[in-house]
Amino acid sequence: MLLKLKTNAAVELTSRVNNLYCSRSLLSRTLLCTFLVVACFATKVQAEEGKTYANSKDFQLHGFISQGLIDVNGSDFVNDDGELSTELTEIGLNATYQLTDTFRLAGQVVYLDGGNRYAQGARVDYALLDWSAFTDEQWQANIYLGRFKNNHWLYSSSRDIPFARPSIILPQSVYFDGFRDIAVGSDGIAAKLSHSTDEYGNFDLQLSYGSSPISDEQTKNILSEHAQGSAEQDYDAQASLYWQPAFSPWRFGVSLLEAGFTYDSAGQANGDFFFDSDFTFQFYTMNAIYEGEAWEFSGEIYQQRFTIDGFYFPAFQLDNVGQGFYLQSRYKLTQQLTLLARYEDFYLDKDDKDGKEMEESTGGAIPYYFGFHKDTTIGVNYDITSNFSVRAEYHWVRGAGRLTPVVAPNPAINDSEDWQMWAVQLMYWF
Amino acid sequence: MLILACLVNPQALAIEIVTHPQVAESSLTKSQLRRIYTMRQLRWSDNRAITVFVLPSQHSLHQRFAKERLQIFPYQLNRVWHKLTYSGLGVAPTIVQSEQELIQAVINTPGAIGYVGDKTLIKLRQQHEQGLISAFKISQKVTNMEEEQKVSRKGVVNVVKIKD
Repeated sequence: MLLKLKTNAAVELTSRVNNLYCSRSLLSRTLLCTFLVVACFATKVQAEEGKTYANSKDFQLHGFISQGLIDVNGSDFVNDDGELSTELTEIGLNATYQLTDTFRLAGQVVYLDGGNRYAQGARVDYALLDWSAFTDEQWQANIYLGRFKNNHWLYSSSRDIPFARPSIILPQSVYFDGFRDIAVGSDGIAAKLSHSTDEYGNFDLQLSYGSSPISDEQTKNILSEHAQGSAEQDYDAQASLYWQPAFSPWRFGVSLLEAGFTYDSAGQANGDFFFDSDFTFQFYTMNAIYEGEAWEFSGEIYQQRFTIDGFYFPAFQLDNVGQGFYLQSRYKLTQQLTLLARYEDFYLDKDDKDGKEMEESTGGAIPYYFGFHKDTTIGVNYDITSNFSVRAEYHWVRGAGRLTPVVAPNPAINDSEDWQMWAVQLMYWF
Repeated sequence: MLILACLVNPQALAIEIVTHPQVAESSLTKSQLRRIYTMRQLRWSDNRAITVFVLPSQHSLHQRFAKERLQIFPYQLNRVWHKLTYSGLGVAPTIVQSEQELIQAVINTPGAIGYVGDKTLIKLRQQHEQGLISAFKISQKVTNMEEEQKVSRKGVVNVVKIKD
């Protein structure tokens, strides 16, 4: 009975989510209310469930809801007018259902409103079939089919979960919101192999191959506001390895990515300034994290290679190697109160770190500060209960290298090298 | 002496690991327990699926269980579980609100594992003896003499010994 009620609630939300695409006004409010009802209801169900735990073994429903305020001064990161904004809404609902001993279904629907950061609306973050191919005391092998989430980078699996990631806005050079829907997961196949030993600790190897659909809005976000054609991701191949020595507070990881994209121009007759083109993107990261009782340190260092063949004119060629890193520290002042400090430094071309050559080569059309992105962040997180947190942070940013659109930037709005933002966010999850 | 014992007792409160009686394991190593709670070991030796129950992360018994029994900070456990739950990679433990609920869940779920304070175990045994709880019995596989005197009935939950 309870199981059925839960399922109905999930179906109701999903159908509401689908309606989103039709009418966008009033929508976030309706969805918010629906979600709150579902959330309260689900929590109540959990509390009343004392006698029916067999249900929770095969079916689980989880979700989160968060709302914040964000104010950006000096860039169009969130909005064009620079006013205080409520465009910081993240709502998610996920379910997992154990089909048989070795097969499981899992899926998550997310509704986002982040202003210019990404397209407003609902999307399916993952919807997959998990086959537990092998499991014993020390080994686990799983194959995931469908839309799976990217678990390769330090925070890629928690980037869209407000309370699970370390800050409201993540280091944009890795967790770039403009690429969010492409980077958060793929449609295809993924495999995970885990091994645990008392001597050497835990090893996690993950491989994935797939592609992500790219909407017209995303195409404009990534390429240019004037791109009238359509972009497609042809493939996205990734691998990562994590190692945590036995009983150690440290964990180390490496990841590799290669992706290919194509752009089909709508043609100059249809007002498209741009030409057919191929893009490739390679991304290599190394990361480490230390989790102590009070102190936590983490960092990622990375190199990317971005090539363009076409786009501006048929014979255009670009081959840029960008590099970056961030270092982050968190300190647990009390059981509930955590402080955060982070520094991020990223440049798009390692041979032109200050962007001067780019400015010259474009005849000043793209100012030098579009060549880098440096972000100094401080923040605070307070856990009110086991399921309810509030967070606040301040960012001092230098450079416009991580503002959309990426390929053909907009220096008219983003006319300053330095910009700042602050944000507060309330988060509830179950 | 009595007063001193009363004062010391709350701090000395032991945390017992309990399983469903059909679980064959009578003891686990500390690393096995850690693997089970970080969802790296999903099956018992007889290939039955393990169902893990926990208290909310800010519950004092949960905090102590994580630090003392698993030697992991509660926030680290949360991260491991959140990753599984919100990325579709796997299934995290089921959270229940109280020790009573947790025991009930372990009794009702084949393959279940959980933890309780030994005071709660003793209280429940006493209630059972007084006929307050009819279906509740506690089995004890620990060979320790003192433990055996405390709880010694064959019944609905196993108390599992944790070896270093």
